[in-house]
Amino acid sequence: MTTKTFKPGEMVDFVVVGSGAAGGVMARELSQAGLSVLVFGQGPRLGAADFEHDEFKYFFLSGITVSPAISPQTFRKTPDAVATRSPGMQPALYARLVGGSSNHYTANFWRFHEIDFIEHSVLGGIPGTAFADWPITYQELEPYYTKVEWEVGVSGLADASPFDPPRSKPYPMPPLPVKSSGVLLERGARKLGLHPFPAPMAIASQPYRGRPACVNCGFCMGFGCEARAKSSSLYTSIPEAEATGMCEVRSESYVYHVDTNAKGRTTGVHYFDGAKRSHFQPARAVVLSANGAETSRLLLNSTSNRFPQGLANSSGMVGKHLMFNQGASVHAVFEHELNEYKSVQVTRILHDFYLSDPKRGFYGGGGIDARMNPQPAIWAMSQGGDLPRWGADFKARLEAFPRSMVSAGHSTSLPLESNSVSIDPTLKDAWGIPAIRVTYKDHPDDLKFARFLQDRSVEIMQAAGAQKIWRDSVEENTAGVHLLGTCRMGNDPKSSVVDKYHRTHDVPNLFICDGSSFVTSGRGQPTMTIQALAFRAAEHIGRFAKANEI
Amino acid sequence: MSTSHDKDDMSRRSFLAGGTGLFTSMWVAAQWPGIAAAAHHADDAASSPTPVGFNYFSPADAADVEAICTQIVPSGATPGAREAHAIYFMDHTLATYFAAAAPDYSKGLGDFQAQFRTAHPQTASFAAADSESQIAFLKTVDRTPFFETTRMLTILGMFTSPKYSGNYQGAGWKLMGFVDQHAFTPPFGYYDREYTGFVPYSGGKA
Repeated sequence: MTTKTFKPGEMVDFVVVGSGAAGGVMARELSQAGLSVLVFGQGPRLGAADFEHDEFKYFFLSGITVSPAISPQTFRKTPDAVATRSPGMQPALYARLVGGSSNHYTANFWRFHEIDFIEHSVLGGIPGTAFADWPITYQELEPYYTKVEWEVGVSGLADASPFDPPRSKPYPMPPLPVKSSGVLLERGARKLGLHPFPAPMAIASQPYRGRPACVNCGFCMGFGCEARAKSSSLYTSIPEAEATGMCEVRSESYVYHVDTNAKGRTTGVHYFDGAKRSHFQPARAVVLSANGAETSRLLLNSTSNRFPQGLANSSGMVGKHLMFNQGASVHAVFEHELNEYKSVQVTRILHDFYLSDPKRGFYGGGGIDARMNPQPAIWAMSQGGDLPRWGADFKARLEAFPRSMVSAGHSTSLPLESNSVSIDPTLKDAWGIPAIRVTYKDHPDDLKFARFLQDRSVEIMQAAGAQKIWRDSVEENTAGVHLLGTCRMGNDPKSSVVDKYHRTHDVPNLFICDGSSFVTSGRGQPTMTIQALAFRAAEHIGRFAKANEI
Repeated sequence: MSTSHDKDDMSRRSFLAGGTGLFTSMWVAAQWPGIAAAAHHADDAASSPTPVGFNYFSPADAADVEAICTQIVPSGATPGAREAHAIYFMDHTLATYFAAAAPDYSKGLGDFQAQFRTAHPQTASFAAADSESQIAFLKTVDRTPFFETTRMLTILGMFTSPKYSGNYQGAGWKLMGFVDQHAFTPPFGYYDREYTGFVPYSGGKA
């Protein structure tokens, strides 16, 4: 296949910044609509053969994730504190390669429910928060959820959960084979009258559109898929965009400034190539899909005389309302072997606690899943409760690895204006560009609900017959992989950054679509919704382009 | 201006207590400050089956550190840290990926050795002490940043890929019952073997 290569400085219809969950879909949809698209990715382009079973590399050496060595970030809990450089895992953690974080995600792909889009109207406001409805409903997004399931590839069982939102089509592939963790969660939960069901996963359970079925190698979360079975953009939307002959994906090309003219329109982007040489790429319109942290940084760094507080930021909302999601895990050891290191992360989940219940006295909702242990070294480091930490007892504990599993809760984060991505006043990255500063402190309700959900996990594991159970501590987040809410959608330009079509309120030919578009956090597992938003946004943006409305 | 102690403490916090909630299981802040300087260090070093010398440790320091590792995961009927060559992983990574944190580690080791000498003036070194004395002493220091770091490195040296010079012949993985293989077929474990299929809920959707 000969892919498109644009000449230096050649005008394109769209520059898309970011090649991950949203950027890949955006590129595919716009190029398939006959529009010329140039996608920029900060990191390298790797393939299946480049990914390894290597816990040390991927979790301890920033193998494919944003590296503190070249892309450092700072962290603080509150706006009155001085942020300090994060030495290891970066607070806004993402995968920095073509395909973005869709390479290393776990691939949990549940849809948001109707309530997620209208929860403010149903529950009322929550003092001190920016809790709000979305400007779109579940019903408007439903066709695009279906599109994700079929175009990207999701395995699952339709209507298996009594709490599932309405859907127009079943899944294109059956669920992945159940694991012992799934069987045990199902056993315990059913005993308690709960409703576990097969987990929807963006992993092929059977050959799908030229990709093979999962080989059950067990290296999903945190790793790139060596089998091409995970439905990452790298294996789905990106090659499909390139196949149109209208799209080029330019890797190791780091966009650091979005240019605007005297009329307040964007004219293109400035970027560094792999040799750190700066170039300008003109475009009729620009779409930012760089993730909920990098999109905000790019806007805040794109200051000009006309936009002194950053681009698309007349509301002052760019970077605000960062939401990581909360959650809490429980570890359980059973009599017989589960061998959770085999196959995918999750095979059973439940949504019985999805709704926030005012009777609890705090806001929050979530899901619980049965999942494999962390990889061996991180599992061995786990230090919950009265676990032995060294010596013969510690060694005996290690030998329980094949008999162990995790029951994990995934839950809400309230949008708080004080939780943000901003620009660090002093720190710069390896290109001399001002770095990300993360400010984050969970709302007390988010922690209360995470603990509530953890208690439910304990009950389920007890009902399943666990011999030993220990809890991970529930603490305030100091880092996140769900980067949500920082350029929220809304109808009011004073309180939001993009409109319901993902067009920025301030710059008519600048669009944003990624986790930053979220108004609320859902209950975790945001990538499905990011991609549904991207399919929907691309349809509208393509229409605008053809109508000369960009 | 942070002191060496502050940094040490910060590093301990960052990899032991960092990740929370959703991320504790996997995306724990399990990385180390040294990585910042060494993240792009090429790794091909690896794995001479019988390493002949140390790049970072002196022989005496290596003996002491290996003795600590061996108390963290003892030898016995199944392999411990010694059989898994955890010390070679530590030596390799402190000379490469973790080089930036190595001075703090060496200082911690020096303090540990000095404390041991004070407690046991008649014994030549921690490595030379009998196992009971080693365990008794470690119980007095097992919450120090130095011990926590040694514990972390021992675990990494036992349970990550053998290409980093530890986990010799997969000894750590064998101990833990982990199989590094590129494909598996179901059933995977005891409990899914007898599973008869998902039974829908009566009444369907709520």
